[in-house]
Amino acid sequence: MHLTPVDYVILVLYFAFVIGIGWRLRKSVTSAGDFLTAGHHVPVWITSLAFLAANLGAQEVVGMAASGAKYGIMTSHFYWIGAVPAMLFIGVFMMPFYYGSKARSVPEYLKMRFDEKTRGLNAITFAVMTLFSSGISMYALAKMFNLVLGWDFNSSIILSGAIVLAYTYLGGLTSAIYNEVLQFFLIVIGFSPLAILAVSRAGGWGGIQQRLPDVMTHAWKYVGHANQNPMGVEVFGLVAGLGFVLSFGYWCTDFLVVQRAMAADSMSAARRTPLLAAFPKMIMPFIVILPGIAALALTKIGSGYALPAKGSGYDYDQALTTLMAQFYPSGMLGVGLTALMASFMSGMAGNVTAFNTVFTYDIYQGYIRPNASDKHYLTVGRLTTVVGVVLSIATAYLAAQFNDIMDFLQLVFGFVNAPLFATFLLGMFWKRATGHGAFFGLLSGTAAAALTHGLTDAEGKGAWIAHLHTFPSQMAQNFWIAIFAWSTCFLVTILVSLATAPHPESKLRGLVYGLTEMPSEEGVPWYKRPVPLALVVVVTLVFLNLLFL
Amino acid sequence: MLDLRLPSGLFFAITGMILVGVSFTNPHAAMTDSNVDLYTGIAMLVFGGLLLLLANRSRRA
Repeated sequence: MHLTPVDYVILVLYFAFVIGIGWRLRKSVTSAGDFLTAGHHVPVWITSLAFLAANLGAQEVVGMAASGAKYGIMTSHFYWIGAVPAMLFIGVFMMPFYYGSKARSVPEYLKMRFDEKTRGLNAITFAVMTLFSSGISMYALAKMFNLVLGWDFNSSIILSGAIVLAYTYLGGLTSAIYNEVLQFFLIVIGFSPLAILAVSRAGGWGGIQQRLPDVMTHAWKYVGHANQNPMGVEVFGLVAGLGFVLSFGYWCTDFLVVQRAMAADSMSAARRTPLLAAFPKMIMPFIVILPGIAALALTKIGSGYALPAKGSGYDYDQALTTLMAQFYPSGMLGVGLTALMASFMSGMAGNVTAFNTVFTYDIYQGYIRPNASDKHYLTVGRLTTVVGVVLSIATAYLAAQFNDIMDFLQLVFGFVNAPLFATFLLGMFWKRATGHGAFFGLLSGTAAAALTHGLTDAEGKGAWIAHLHTFPSQMAQNFWIAIFAWSTCFLVTILVSLATAPHPESKLRGLVYGLTEMPSEEGVPWYKRPVPLALVVVVTLVFLNLLFL
Repeated sequence: MLDLRLPSGLFFAITGMILVGVSFTNPHAAMTDSNVDLYTGIAMLVFGGLLLLLANRSRRA
């Protein structure tokens, strides 16, 4: 890919705006609450787009195009069965407890609802995982820029880290959220022309359907049995593992996204944040997955474009960047590249701002210095932002050196995350669930995940204890690990809770269903009420799935 | 508090102008005959202008 001066001008212009927004917002930060929780005064259209963009990292954008080329339209399950139903659930059912509890973070909610040890477990694992994923995506980005543009690995890492640090340090969470919205616009404008150009060159959707095997253009037709589709998954594993356990576990409990909704200026706005975000989320597959499918079709028809080869197959991870190089002239190439950079920065800033809040409130204030002044916590929050960026950079270099350790850690984090949603579901909707129940439920869920991995094998991975079963793909193995972890956590939490003393009801007010006054919706127009909004999303979702059945 | 529509509108308006500007001298990319810079540039100008208009209206109100 060859860049000209005008491409660099656009990239630099974008950096200037990003830092400029942070600079303008620095005056609005006067307390730790302003810096770490955006003071609960961000308008709802901004929180909902940020809710979406914080998750839309560069790895996601590049990875979804790659999956599109590898698996076809089935990749859309990550959006239509995965993300969107979970986003509806958190908006309609869970947000009243998150926002109503006045907790400043997800771990803090766990402390109010359960106990100190459950909070500690969640806060520490979350803090470590956040830094880790921030470092990993930094490494992936620098490697990609090195490959595609020949940029120096070290300079890419230092430059992107420094810019994210500058605007999050200046304006805190507000600055991160505001910039995420700009990044979201840029991602849409930077990548949708590519989808249009690539698909029309491949003969439109009809042309793609003719040129590719049937399985690549149908989302549901071939999920009856795992050996019928390239993902190697069947419908139960897909719906229960991905659609329920993994997606609800991420969208409903991960502080990175929940924090965006909690920054909204009212309970009603907090509930509408994920619901309004669901609308653009449903459309994202057309922007990020379609180019990948078109890339494969263009390769098959010998159009002049071909996916780069890798071994006996293709290097799918390069689908997006090679398409850009072939379809975008200079100028637009700069916009596309800036969009890629923006998607990376939104992901990283999301990680850093979630990390500094959890560290400052749940670890530092919780265990190191409980009763300091607000000014003190503001300073700690700022310093943690610097430390977070530095540790991300260190992780990026670690990833470059020790690939095996990184794979191993990623696996362990998966085990820790898998059971989480069971804990929150029982915590919010069953007042009898206790702290001991939650804590031991989580531990046994993680153990069940590790055990499932140790006893089964897929594509040569796993089965380090014994070999009981072989999954057709690693994706299927992941889905089933999640299902077992969730079920174990769910059962153990119930059993231990019944065997331990219940929490007094007076302490559960505002935290659990049945002991919380649900927000009144009288006189609110329908398009501002959660349930009607969610229904519109459901109808659209069914329609989209039927369209690509 | 900063009205986000102002800086976003400005960014897209400027980038749109740059794209429209270079679109007249640029050769098109290998795989397409369309003038991608021109069309995207116009779309950005319209979007940026719309954001600026909205920001301006709410400031006066």
